[in-house]
Amino acid sequence: MVENSPAPLPERAIYGFALFLGSWFGFILYLIWAYIPETWLFSLGLTYWPQKYWAVALPTYLLVAIGIGYILLFGVNMMSTAPLNSTHTITDNYAKKQQQKIHQEEAIPALRDIPISEVNRMFFLPEK
Amino acid sequence: EERQYRSASGTPIALRRRQHSASCRELAVRCPRLQPRYRLPPGRGGLDQSSVFAWLVLQNSMVLSAAIFITLVGLIIYLHFVKVDQESLLVIGSLGIKATSSYASGKESTTFIEMGQVKDVVINEAIHMQKVIYYLCILLQDPADPQGISEVVPLFQSSKPRLDCLKELYRSCQEILEQGRT
Repeated sequence: MVENSPAPLPERAIYGFALFLGSWFGFILYLIWAYIPETWLFSLGLTYWPQKYWAVALPTYLLVAIGIGYILLFGVNMMSTAPLNSTHTITDNYAKKQQQKIHQEEAIPALRDIPISEVNRMFFLPEK
Repeated sequence: EERQYRSASGTPIALRRRQHSASCRELAVRCPRLQPRYRLPPGRGGLDQSSVFAWLVLQNSMVLSAAIFITLVGLIIYLHFVKVDQESLLVIGSLGIKATSSYASGKESTTFIEMGQVKDVVINEAIHMQKVIYYLCILLQDPADPQGISEVVPLFQSSKPRLDCLKELYRSCQEILEQGRT
């Protein structure tokens, strides 16, 4: 579809440039807020800006959150792995409700979930 | 007869098969002995920080007796509840399957599943602690749905045999189960 292609378009170029300018502006504003002493800001009339404590605290919070996020993702993965005694290791809702398609001669058989007993017999019992 | 195999983590285990009658078979897996996981490097003579600290701490006899007591209690708990000596499976055709685990302290815990509930004994693979392992399990029949599986009972959880041993176990179980089906 033409609307969803990632090709460059004039509108996208304008958005990109606006974001570029906006991010530079935000960064310069952050540097001004963090470095210029409070008395100078007060003398300019800017009295209601947040405490400078946050100029250090917010990046720290962000970096610690990213670090914990790695550990958290690992832990969530381990928690959502099915235990060895659950039926989710063998089948699931879609496999239980699948319908048998009519077998046509000389056609490739339809894709289906083969029960585990059949698979085991094929793999591990040698057919004489 | 007894044959040597390896468990999933590489420790040696032994499988013993006995046929009691035409429709009754016992399969026992003996778990590995306690292996030392690491060895202190030889030739560690002289004093260094950790040994001096340990000596200073243990000078106080209260700490020493408490440490000895806790170690003894912990060892007894471990032997009684954790360390499995042997796991065995007794398959009696048309009657049921009995799985027993004997612990190092002599305790034995058994589960019996009657044959009417057993759908099949299969080798399944699943993710377990950053590894994919094969394990033998009993599939229990769902009374409502003849094709469905109500529960999965994993076997040999402490010894975790590898695929070659599991194939032997699978074939032995299937021979008995097939007699019941025909």
